[in-house]
Amino acid sequence: MDCYTANWNPLGDSAFYRKYELYSMDWDLKEELRDCLVAAAPYGGPIALLRHPWRKEKAASVRPVLEIYSAAGVSLASLLWKSGPVVSLGWSAEEELLCVQEDGAVLVFGLHGDFRRHFSMGNEVLQNRVLDARIFHTEFGSGVAILTGAHRFTLSANVGDLKLRRLPEVPGLQSAPSCWTALCQDRAAHILLAVGPDLYLVDQAACSAVTPPGLTPGVSSFLQMAVSFTYRHLALFTDTGHIWMGTASLKEKLCEFNCNIRAPPKQMVWCSRPRSKERAVVVAWEKRLMVVGDAPESIQFVLDEDSYLVPELDGVRIFSRSTHEFLHEVPVASEEIFKIASMAPGALLLEGQKEYEESQKADEYLREIQELGQLTQAVQQCIEAAGHEHRPDMQKSLLRAASFGKCFLDRFPPDSFVRMCQDLRVLNAVRDYHIGIPLTYSQYKQLTIQVLLDRLVLRRLYPLAIQICEYLRLPEVQGVSRILAHWACYKVQQKDVSDEDVARAINQKLGDTPGVSYSDIAARAYGCGRTELAIKLLEYEPRSGEQVPLLLKMKRSKLALSKAIESGDTDLVFTVLLHLKNELNRGDFFMTLRNQPMALSLYRQFCKHQELETLKDLYNQDDNHQELGSFHVRASYAAEERIEGRVAALQTAADAFYKAKNEFAAKATEDQMRLLRLQRRLEDELGGQFLDLSLHDTVTTLILGGHNKRAEQLARDFRIPDKRLWWLKLTALAALEDWEELEKFSKSKKSPIGYLPFVDICMKQHNKYEAKKYASRVGPEQKVKALLLVGDVAQAADVAIEHRNEAELSLVLSHCTGATDGATADKIQRARAQALKK
Amino acid sequence: MAFHLRPDAPELPDFSMLKRLARDQLIYLLEQLPGKKDLFIEADLMSPLDRIASVSILKQHEVDKLYKVEINKPVLSSSEQLCFLVRPRIKNMRYIAHLVNTDKLAGRTRKYKVIFSPQKFYACEMVLEEEGIYGDVSCDEWAFSLLPLDVDLLSMELPEFFRDYFLEGDQRWINTVAQALHLLSTLYGSFPNCYGIGRCAKMSYELWRTLEEEEEGETKSRRPEIGHIFFLDRDMDFVTALCSQVVYEGLVDDTFRIKCGSVDFGPEVTSSDKSLKVLLNAEDKVFSEIRNEHFSNVFGFLSQKARNLQAQYDRRRGMDIKQMKNFVSQELKGLKQEHRLLSLHIGACESIMKKKTKQDFQELIKTEHGLLEGFSLRESTSYIEEHIDRQVSPIESLRLMCLLSITENGLIPKDYRSLKTQYLQSYGPEHLLTFSNLRRAGLLTEQAPGDTLTAMESKVSKLVTDKAAGKITDAFSSLAKRSNFRAISKKLNLIPRVDGEYDLKVPRDMAYVFSGAYVPLSCRIIEQVLERRSWQGLDEVVRLLNCTEFAFTDVTKEDKASSESLRLILVVFLGGCTFSELSALRFLGREKGYRFIFLTTAVTNSARLMEAMSELKA
Repeated sequence: MDCYTANWNPLGDSAFYRKYELYSMDWDLKEELRDCLVAAAPYGGPIALLRHPWRKEKAASVRPVLEIYSAAGVSLASLLWKSGPVVSLGWSAEEELLCVQEDGAVLVFGLHGDFRRHFSMGNEVLQNRVLDARIFHTEFGSGVAILTGAHRFTLSANVGDLKLRRLPEVPGLQSAPSCWTALCQDRAAHILLAVGPDLYLVDQAACSAVTPPGLTPGVSSFLQMAVSFTYRHLALFTDTGHIWMGTASLKEKLCEFNCNIRAPPKQMVWCSRPRSKERAVVVAWEKRLMVVGDAPESIQFVLDEDSYLVPELDGVRIFSRSTHEFLHEVPVASEEIFKIASMAPGALLLEGQKEYEESQKADEYLREIQELGQLTQAVQQCIEAAGHEHRPDMQKSLLRAASFGKCFLDRFPPDSFVRMCQDLRVLNAVRDYHIGIPLTYSQYKQLTIQVLLDRLVLRRLYPLAIQICEYLRLPEVQGVSRILAHWACYKVQQKDVSDEDVARAINQKLGDTPGVSYSDIAARAYGCGRTELAIKLLEYEPRSGEQVPLLLKMKRSKLALSKAIESGDTDLVFTVLLHLKNELNRGDFFMTLRNQPMALSLYRQFCKHQELETLKDLYNQDDNHQELGSFHVRASYAAEERIEGRVAALQTAADAFYKAKNEFAAKATEDQMRLLRLQRRLEDELGGQFLDLSLHDTVTTLILGGHNKRAEQLARDFRIPDKRLWWLKLTALAALEDWEELEKFSKSKKSPIGYLPFVDICMKQHNKYEAKKYASRVGPEQKVKALLLVGDVAQAADVAIEHRNEAELSLVLSHCTGATDGATADKIQRARAQALKK
Repeated sequence: MAFHLRPDAPELPDFSMLKRLARDQLIYLLEQLPGKKDLFIEADLMSPLDRIASVSILKQHEVDKLYKVEINKPVLSSSEQLCFLVRPRIKNMRYIAHLVNTDKLAGRTRKYKVIFSPQKFYACEMVLEEEGIYGDVSCDEWAFSLLPLDVDLLSMELPEFFRDYFLEGDQRWINTVAQALHLLSTLYGSFPNCYGIGRCAKMSYELWRTLEEEEEGETKSRRPEIGHIFFLDRDMDFVTALCSQVVYEGLVDDTFRIKCGSVDFGPEVTSSDKSLKVLLNAEDKVFSEIRNEHFSNVFGFLSQKARNLQAQYDRRRGMDIKQMKNFVSQELKGLKQEHRLLSLHIGACESIMKKKTKQDFQELIKTEHGLLEGFSLRESTSYIEEHIDRQVSPIESLRLMCLLSITENGLIPKDYRSLKTQYLQSYGPEHLLTFSNLRRAGLLTEQAPGDTLTAMESKVSKLVTDKAAGKITDAFSSLAKRSNFRAISKKLNLIPRVDGEYDLKVPRDMAYVFSGAYVPLSCRIIEQVLERRSWQGLDEVVRLLNCTEFAFTDVTKEDKASSESLRLILVVFLGGCTFSELSALRFLGREKGYRFIFLTTAVTNSARLMEAMSELKA
């Protein structure tokens, strides 16, 4: 493995740096990079070039070209720049390209050169122009900072939620600062700038001068500054050729290096990784690349070509016209294994595995590791190192070693190995030249698989994304379904394909995959102005509830109504109803309701409580005379107070009932009108309360008031049946305890209800004397009951025996209580026995 | 004789979780309005709330004073924050709007929060908007839709479901039912076997399935705890609900009205000068033994129990001091408790007896049995007429009329007219609307309506036969519906053949809940379907029930359900169920080794059904 470390360069005692090629670039650049505005997104993101920047060629006739390439140099988009002069380019965290123009406008483009939106960095800029701009990343998103011609800074920490902050003036700033950068500290964005020998930190409230501790004196100007990926460290390049490195808070110095070059570097970026052993800065000049850290010697590379540096989480990407390389500090695991003459367990294991294929020496290696009890560690080391290797063959041999070592371990949890295999497959797939996302393992873990999938979707690499989801067995809702939905949303934008074809293609692919919302896709189609397609797509939406809001938006209210009804969600139906009510004229609205009984009854319920008049109109419209009649009947006692109004309401009701051919109700209503008038007259003539009594109660009240004549008149007028009248009079007279009148009444003619009720009611009023009078008149069938009611058990027994009725006998027997009736009971028993004999 | 579970009866799921969920959610909602606040509670929600969260819990969460929502009453609260706990009804919205607008006029600003239970309706928000206070109040939902009244009884406490759906054709609550079932299936696993009959049953089932499917991708389904679910519309069987109840719990409900699982026993029962609120459920050891018994057995049982109790008390004679100490510390409390319950139930029995003798209960039952069995119709009709003439009870009369109508497929025109006329004379003309309601719900109709169809009716019946108009509401379709009770009764053998006396102490079948005269139709349908595990062979019955399109079965392969769970059956009563039905099904469960769980929109009885249909002057 000796040659493997050939490209390792030591920096100081502890760390090695290596540089390897990611891609040889596919692009065929006609120009030098230095003639273009360049922006490359971190995490292996795309590269944007704007050729013919204005600062060089003033000829307005040639329009500049904006080109977007993948990290492998594959062209993604190319468009003629038609807008104003651009000062700076930058990528947002969502991989949107932000182009800051001289007039302060920021144009936002998608990965494929599709224009998304634009915003302005403030009116003040219009006069002063933008001198310089930086796009930076914060925890809130992506920010933009500009330096205006008036030497003032304006920044927005999150372009997604644009809030412009104009920073306070820097005292005595007459010309542009020699260098500046945006810093993020304590959740706020600041600007650090250098003017001559002074450094200033400008924040929202104030501008303060700062000095880096331990800076070698003699500095008259800062030529370049760099902030690390995490904003934790700062590097300053002075005109004395010193590079000062320290914390971004300027409270601590890490080291200082004298590179003896006074020419301003083209670029300076940090090259470190999480838990770096050595923090280093990469400085690029025209022909030279230098890695500088806390060590007396630096690492030097010669640059053959014009190159551009892209800081990453764990290293630096360097691309030029022909190649794309990655420079980073060698990770611990790799270092342990591959370092020359390493005795680390991982190194031994790798060696052992190799021997295993050829000789028995494998056993020795294994024994050695096991004796030290480091086999677990060895396996872990190999797995980890595999993650950090770029070349698949190296990944494989490391994994093979790990798998070999695993065989000799009892309980090694397999998941770390399996996960690494999976991760590497995914990484190798996206690193592929055609895809061109050169993510390292650490970047991938930081980015997460969800974001990586989003980025693939953004590049319209739907099949790969789906394969990854399936391979990793991600839940459908987060994985495949989501990607298919994105695909469908993209599909509906293809204007050259017919509505039918698009709808069919989408349905074929999506089927009824769970978690895919057809209504979302339809909404997108509608957003592109394809209403018909949207309706077609909605047909596939299984949840009718989801269809309704969009249908309403598309003004397909009637369709929305039937969908709402299908959904069974009454609230949804109601929403549509109110839409319809405002959209249609009253007649059409009612007609629509008429064909939808469910909606109709819902609306009726609402009207009953809130809009009574509308309810009436509804019935009228339907010629629903029955309900109309009921409506007026209700009004006659609920809404109307005056007697005339009540009678009028009843008259309307009666007319409606006639129309409904409900003669019974019509007659009943007319009777009620008569009764109301009569009750009114009674109140006038006799005083007291008659209105709203039922007919029965009216008559009863009359009798109780002693107006027998009137009562009888009323009974005749309203044809009260005899039976009812007798019950009524009986009850009323008994209540009055007018026994004399009751007797007279009982003798007026033969009672249609018999005389038992008389007995009963007298007993209830505790008048046994009167009760007995009537008991004698009770017919034979009820005689026993009557006698029992008045308490004459003995005589009841006699009658029952005479009737030879078994049921009656039992009844009497059950009334025989205590000693007094003992004789009677015996008598009945005897009669029974006798009856049995016969 | 007392009602005991079989030893092999399956365990019931623990439904107390539902209470805890509801309580936690309510507390969360109350905390959303930090600081002291007055709580206005709608009368209908007071008892259910009481079962969920006590006043002290409410006070812990800074509820200062409690008020009842009373329309047309001035609001006295002086709190700066008002919280309303209401059903989603328009009249409540108007009440709140009035209150807020009064405050506004007086230049007073307070915070208002409306908590809708079990859900809010768009119509309510719209009223708030129309009244111009939408921006002044904040709205929330308390998804409290299932109250466990007992170990096997879950109630949605929505009595208005019956009128809203079966009379007005308003389907708003069906979604609530589906949501409630969804909650149950998330907590206790889905139901592998589903059966149902009725339009509402089918809609609820389908809505619930949609909810389940929407979430299927996201949640792993639990192992089902309940093996079967049966949906039943109340209008499949009005007869059972209209009969006088004679099992103890039903009788207590008919006499004293059980409200939300508890009953107010008046002084005549408690034999003191105070009323007493008593919880009636399985925890009441005395009650749980007699609740399902025919009333004629209850008295004997109670006196036996009293003697046993006395014997246990008597044991302390001849005890030494140590034994006595033991007795006092361990048994006495239990005995005293039992004693207290015993005397309460004895008191209740006496009170029931007294009331029933006064009302000629025997006559009434005889008439009912006549109607069920279809003999001595003329006598029954004149009994009803006399009942009306004597103004015995408006609700009872109405009930008997409906019973007559349903059992006979409608009244003959002459009776239809005369009974209605009599009723109007006795109780006032507004009942013209009551009759219109009853006809719409199919409870009181006229025989052979063909020639007397009104214009509207014939239009509607045309729609009903038209398949395209399948979405037509039940309220209308019932017009063209015949009850066919007699034919169904014959088909399903609802009237048991009696040879000799029916021994109510040792019931043979479910008919015991109606003194052996009638097997409740609803329960018989459930029994038959469960036996067959489908509607197969019941086609004729389904046709007679006018439900060919609305009888459904969905039986899945039983790989996931345990045999234990397959003996648990959840019966969903849409539109309410009666205690008699519960007793009958509990009996059936004991016979067959099942155990039933009941989910009902509300516990109902004949009086409640009739009141729901009655038009009353406001």
